[in-house]
Amino acid sequence: MRSWSFLGVLALLLVNESSAFKAHDFKTCSQSGFCRRGRALSARAKEAKSSWVSPYSVDPSSVHISPNQAVFTAAVQSSLYPDIKFGLEVRIQDDGVARVRMDEVGGLRKRYDEAAAWALISEPVVSKDIKWTTGKKDTRAVYGDKKDIEVVVAHQPLRIPLLRNGKEQVVINGQGLLHMEHFRNKIEPATSTEEPAPEPEEGAEGSGESQTVLKVENPRAWFEGDTEDALFEETFSSWTDSKPKGPESLSLDINFPNHGTVYGIPQHATRLALPTTTGSDPAFTDPYRLYNSDVFEYLASSPVSLYGSIPLMHAHSTESTVAVFHVVASETWIDVSHSSEKSTETHWVSESGILDTFLLPGPTAEDVFKQYTRLTGTPVLPAHWSLGYHQCRWNYVSSDDVRTVQRRFDEDDMPVDVFWLDIEYSEDHKYFMWKDKTFPDPVEMTNDVAVNGRKMVVIVDPHLKRAQDYPAFKQASELGILVKPNSGQGEYEGWCWPGSSSWTDFFNPAAWDWWKSLFKTEETPGKWSWTKSTTDIHIWNDMNEPSVFNGPEITMPKDNIHYGGWEHRDIHNINGMLFSNLTYQAVAERTDPPTRPFVLTRAFYAGSQRFGAMWTGDNLGTWEHMAVGVKMVLANGLGGLSFAGSDVGGFFGNPEPEMLVRWYQVGAFAPFFRAHAHIDTKRREPFLLDEPYKGIVKDILRLRYTLLPVWYTAFRETTTTGMPILRPQFIMFPKDKAGFEIDDQYYIGSSGLLVKPVTEKDVREAKVYLAEDQVYYDYFTNVAHRGSAKGKEITVPAALDQLPLFIRGGSILATRERPRRASSLMKRDPFTLRVALDKSGSARGELYLDDGVSYDHIKGDFVWREFVAETKKGKKGLRLSSVDLGKAKPQEAVDGVALATYNPQNSFAESVLKDVRVEKVVVVGLSAKPASVKVEGSSEELVWEYTSGVASNEKKGGKASVLVIKDPKVLVRKDWAIVIQ
Amino acid sequence: MVPWLILLASLPLSATAGPSKTLGVSPDLLPKYTPSKSGTWKCLDGSKEIPWDFVNDDSCDCPDGSDEPGTGACPNTRFYCKNEGHIGAFIPSSRVNDGLCEVQCCDGSDEHTGVCPNLCKEIGEEYRTKRDAELKIQRAGAKVRASYIAFAHQEKKRLEADVQKLAEEIKVQEKEVSRLRDIAERSESLSQAALEQKKKSPLYQSFLSHNAALKSMQREHAKHLEREKALGLILDTLRTGYNPNYQDMAVLEAVRGWEELAGLPHINDVGKEKEGENKDDTAKQETAPETEEPLEEGMWTADQLQHQLDALLGTDYVSLLLEHEEFIQAPIDGSILFELSSYLPESILPIYEDFKDTLVSWLQKFHVISGGTDGAADSSRAQQAYHDAENELEQLNTEKETKENDVKEIFNIHGFGAKGEWKKLDGTCLEKDTGDYTYEVCLFKEVKQRPNNGGTTFSLGKFESWNPSPDVKPGEPEYYQKQVYKHGTRCWNGPERNVVLLLTCGTENAILTVQELEKCEYEFTGTSPALCLPLVGDQKKAGGSREEL
Repeated sequence: MRSWSFLGVLALLLVNESSAFKAHDFKTCSQSGFCRRGRALSARAKEAKSSWVSPYSVDPSSVHISPNQAVFTAAVQSSLYPDIKFGLEVRIQDDGVARVRMDEVGGLRKRYDEAAAWALISEPVVSKDIKWTTGKKDTRAVYGDKKDIEVVVAHQPLRIPLLRNGKEQVVINGQGLLHMEHFRNKIEPATSTEEPAPEPEEGAEGSGESQTVLKVENPRAWFEGDTEDALFEETFSSWTDSKPKGPESLSLDINFPNHGTVYGIPQHATRLALPTTTGSDPAFTDPYRLYNSDVFEYLASSPVSLYGSIPLMHAHSTESTVAVFHVVASETWIDVSHSSEKSTETHWVSESGILDTFLLPGPTAEDVFKQYTRLTGTPVLPAHWSLGYHQCRWNYVSSDDVRTVQRRFDEDDMPVDVFWLDIEYSEDHKYFMWKDKTFPDPVEMTNDVAVNGRKMVVIVDPHLKRAQDYPAFKQASELGILVKPNSGQGEYEGWCWPGSSSWTDFFNPAAWDWWKSLFKTEETPGKWSWTKSTTDIHIWNDMNEPSVFNGPEITMPKDNIHYGGWEHRDIHNINGMLFSNLTYQAVAERTDPPTRPFVLTRAFYAGSQRFGAMWTGDNLGTWEHMAVGVKMVLANGLGGLSFAGSDVGGFFGNPEPEMLVRWYQVGAFAPFFRAHAHIDTKRREPFLLDEPYKGIVKDILRLRYTLLPVWYTAFRETTTTGMPILRPQFIMFPKDKAGFEIDDQYYIGSSGLLVKPVTEKDVREAKVYLAEDQVYYDYFTNVAHRGSAKGKEITVPAALDQLPLFIRGGSILATRERPRRASSLMKRDPFTLRVALDKSGSARGELYLDDGVSYDHIKGDFVWREFVAETKKGKKGLRLSSVDLGKAKPQEAVDGVALATYNPQNSFAESVLKDVRVEKVVVVGLSAKPASVKVEGSSEELVWEYTSGVASNEKKGGKASVLVIKDPKVLVRKDWAIVIQ
Repeated sequence: MVPWLILLASLPLSATAGPSKTLGVSPDLLPKYTPSKSGTWKCLDGSKEIPWDFVNDDSCDCPDGSDEPGTGACPNTRFYCKNEGHIGAFIPSSRVNDGLCEVQCCDGSDEHTGVCPNLCKEIGEEYRTKRDAELKIQRAGAKVRASYIAFAHQEKKRLEADVQKLAEEIKVQEKEVSRLRDIAERSESLSQAALEQKKKSPLYQSFLSHNAALKSMQREHAKHLEREKALGLILDTLRTGYNPNYQDMAVLEAVRGWEELAGLPHINDVGKEKEGENKDDTAKQETAPETEEPLEEGMWTADQLQHQLDALLGTDYVSLLLEHEEFIQAPIDGSILFELSSYLPESILPIYEDFKDTLVSWLQKFHVISGGTDGAADSSRAQQAYHDAENELEQLNTEKETKENDVKEIFNIHGFGAKGEWKKLDGTCLEKDTGDYTYEVCLFKEVKQRPNNGGTTFSLGKFESWNPSPDVKPGEPEYYQKQVYKHGTRCWNGPERNVVLLLTCGTENAILTVQELEKCEYEFTGTSPALCLPLVGDQKKAGGSREEL
């Protein structure tokens, strides 16, 4: 604790209150010992130019190929430390992914090697039919359907490229920056009568000691530098990291010689195509940092680390998409540069952990996502209600406040699904423990919300108030499952919302069942559990970086001790995921059989997509944050975490009505749609707005609900393919270079919806980029816009109540057009089909439905349809048909299970969906007025109305022709066709 | 488009098994829901003509949604439930056929047949019981309200009488003032010159500059005190109100620093006092401020400085000057002439005194020594008397004016209501203990928040107005259901505290709930009989305008 002084108080009073992001709370690379060493290494390499050769090499005599031919192992040496042994392993998986692992062998201590165990869903399957051939200089494996992929392990110096068709895609150690600091003991300076060397100044490189070793030429200086820099102890601000294990950092360069654009490594507030951090004229001066941090009022453009970390990087060119997944859980810094327009060099420096890197060969984005989600899992299919609108605030102050907010939504007939409670519901911030004075009736309150088909989400943070009357803390303390201080003894004590707190160590398996037991809503004899809750309450996990107010960089000291004796530094970035993982299981298992839980997390890691949603943390109510929020959600999708959103309205500040309206337009087109506000802000629930803003927001909310079937269908897809829900241009049009940098417009799943949210003040026009020669229809007006194969920018009106939203020609959307109070009340409502014909006059779309709450879909209780509009060859007229995809592709329907068969008469189709019909069909872009419209097999003419306009196959723009078919009375669960002659 | 006529020919008119064509139609629109002779129907906005069969067929045809009064197929329309046995009600179309039985539709007509039971009998009963209870309260409240109105009228009378009395007093006082003014004017003209001469005395001039300096010091001192208080207040608010949530150790340290400086226990320990009282005592002793160094003799304590300085500065220097003259020019003090008596034997004393008086008066006559009074002093005293009388007159006038205003205010619709029903409650203070704090609402005055565990009491705002919404007309019952108190103590790093007080009819004047819905914005709810309007029926029974007295 810093000492107090009266002067300090005066200084505080003089401090400008508007100070926001506290840069001094967080390290820059130059303040982080291992990052400093890593950057110095790359600087020396740059200076040495071509004379630089990696000291690491494979001992050819040690090369061993496993009997099934897919695993390569060898001993690796460093010429710097010939006595230190490293082991290298390269495995080729059955899907073509190459995994490179390297660790120190027989070292003084053990490097952390469990990160992959937490991130991966299972041990990847190694291919059975790959042949390695060992030559004099290297060992290589050729594989792939066309034998077009090649992984080479060059022996001296060690260099591992992955090639496709002879072109290098990914290269490990191509720049020779690989450096695995081996374990060593600190050599205590002689305690003789010699005068002690002067204390080195903080942050200064190589003072003091360098003078004492001047006499001896250091043979490793060319690589490691002349001086030892922060190897055994490091001080930042008032905190000292004791580093008992000494140096153990890992430096690794990964090059993409044929890819000029890189994406990923969320979470950073920056553009989607990662700007450079080194090389000539870098956009940022510091590397991208991955170290889960609670950053107060973070900047809208910065490489600083934020709440979550996914060490997955995509590299893209017009020819292919590849990726690397570098599974490290410790603090990691990543430099990005381009030595030419066509290539990318990256340099990854991590504080600890083994080298464990997956090379994902692509060659398309679809392939990359498939490969990545085979490793870490696909996003889980969320509860349907969680795709509705979430209303949050720090804080709704009482159960009556919650009821009033609900009443106000209903009075204005605005849809909402979930009411949230932030930390102030709890007595002294002891989560689970209701403040009796303001929340005397939590169960009744929840029931009053649930009776309208809605849910509640209540916050449970990972810090436990150190109070003996708090069952959660008392039990955890008795079980000995709290994180330990660096002594390895007792309980680590830090400061968070409740004051003095401790943290459960979820790496300890003994914590798992205990944590789950707390959430039981029914009384268990002799065990405390949250009986003052119901299964309509779901959970928000905040502060799980973990945030520790009085800790270094607002988090735990790195030398804290976790289960198994690992230091916090080893597991930091995984810590938050484990917490939401366990909460997710706990919420699911409240019922038997389990029901789909909803857990929102702030901290995340690779694999977090299996446990629910994330949001972009405590953003600011500024236009810049609104804009970067869109990019961050896109980037999270690229990291596999599609179920993401940013706080609508901005957490801090009081947005003016125009900003709030635009933010609702942004939020309604994010997978996770929640409005949230800081305790110091004015209330800003949508019903408080004046007209016209209130009406506009109401329409936006209703639009979200209208499109819920589209969102849910998109979620199903990502649960099976891993493809992100929000798709930027480069994924949709991988060969269109002009789209690689575009990150302010995106497509929603495979639906064909293209949205370009307006994120600037006073803007009433939007420019939208159309990358193909196709027709795009304005969602609201059916005005047709024509794109071009060379790419074309169109300008569209974007008044405050106009959201630039388009349907790509060739798409069919299934929507529900009856507004309701909550999504669960729409489940029996009929559908409207919107058929947007492409220039060839056809279209297709999908619709996926299930009960939205249970896991019965895994057993086959769902309906998955394809709608196809086409003109059969040699025939006239358009045929719109509904095809049973469940029946056609049962093995692809749901995640985790390859259903062998599908029963169209399953219990979902026969109950909730039994009578659900299509109440309206809208066909946009017909070239002429039809002569007749009939359901196939029926002689009865349907009722329809045709408004003439531009046809899909014309060259010009303007209002498209629209055919509206009234109530064809066809059922969603059945096969049918409508013929338009 | 397919001509409707062809369609009509192919569709029998009455064959559909859907809901009744008039389901959800409000009684006043029922006549409009009949087919034309040709079996068609016009949308209510006249925009479209559709087959009668399309009405309530669960598919929206009319742009205004009027063809689906009973199915919810057209958004943004209203559904009417008859609720036989209870009261008919409208619900939005978004709630029709959504699977939930609306409370407002006790007859269950908002959902498909068989989904919702008809509960109108029970709900109607319940409603009537509740309504009766409410009416009972309203009746009882109205009686109290009538007494408030009576009070207002009495108050008016009392005030008017006071005004009358004051007017008379004013007349008398005016005469007195004019008499005294005459005297003062006469004596002033005589003495002005003499006084001016005396004022030139260095002593007097020095007094003036001392006075000016002291006043300036006092002003500066007050400013400093004010500033110190404000800083203390800021820090107190920070201490009690800071959210340990600002993950800001700087704030925490500021709080601790302040606690140390001000000798306060740590805020987190407040409330723990009961458990560990002894411990707390020692802590207090430790942090007790050091005793200040002893004052030099004659120096004022801080307390004296605060309370006695004004009196000192208020000294009438002219009087003092004159007194001083008297004092100086009576050097007799201590001189043989005046103190001789002490040397004389008692038996001679009476003779001596006689002699002395004669002698002194003689000497004075010839200006050998100066007497106890002179013209300047005379004038000053006459002036004083005149000013005092004038002040008193002014006071009386102000008092009269205030009371006249009060009379007007009693029946001001922006103030105590058109009937003066709120006058009785002017300044009435209501308290609500919420555990941590006690809130005090002094109606038409101020709202305060007092921590129950010690600490600063804050003003949450002073009375500003009744319901300020432009949608509510002053004088309407709704206008008096909301009071706004504004400009309370400023929050740390935030805005001024404000209160909205929502009132409903009740037999008691009471505060029911207090919530801080957002930082520094409080919402109170409460009841008052002043809002209980007499029931229309009761009024008639009581013979009309009894209430008006």
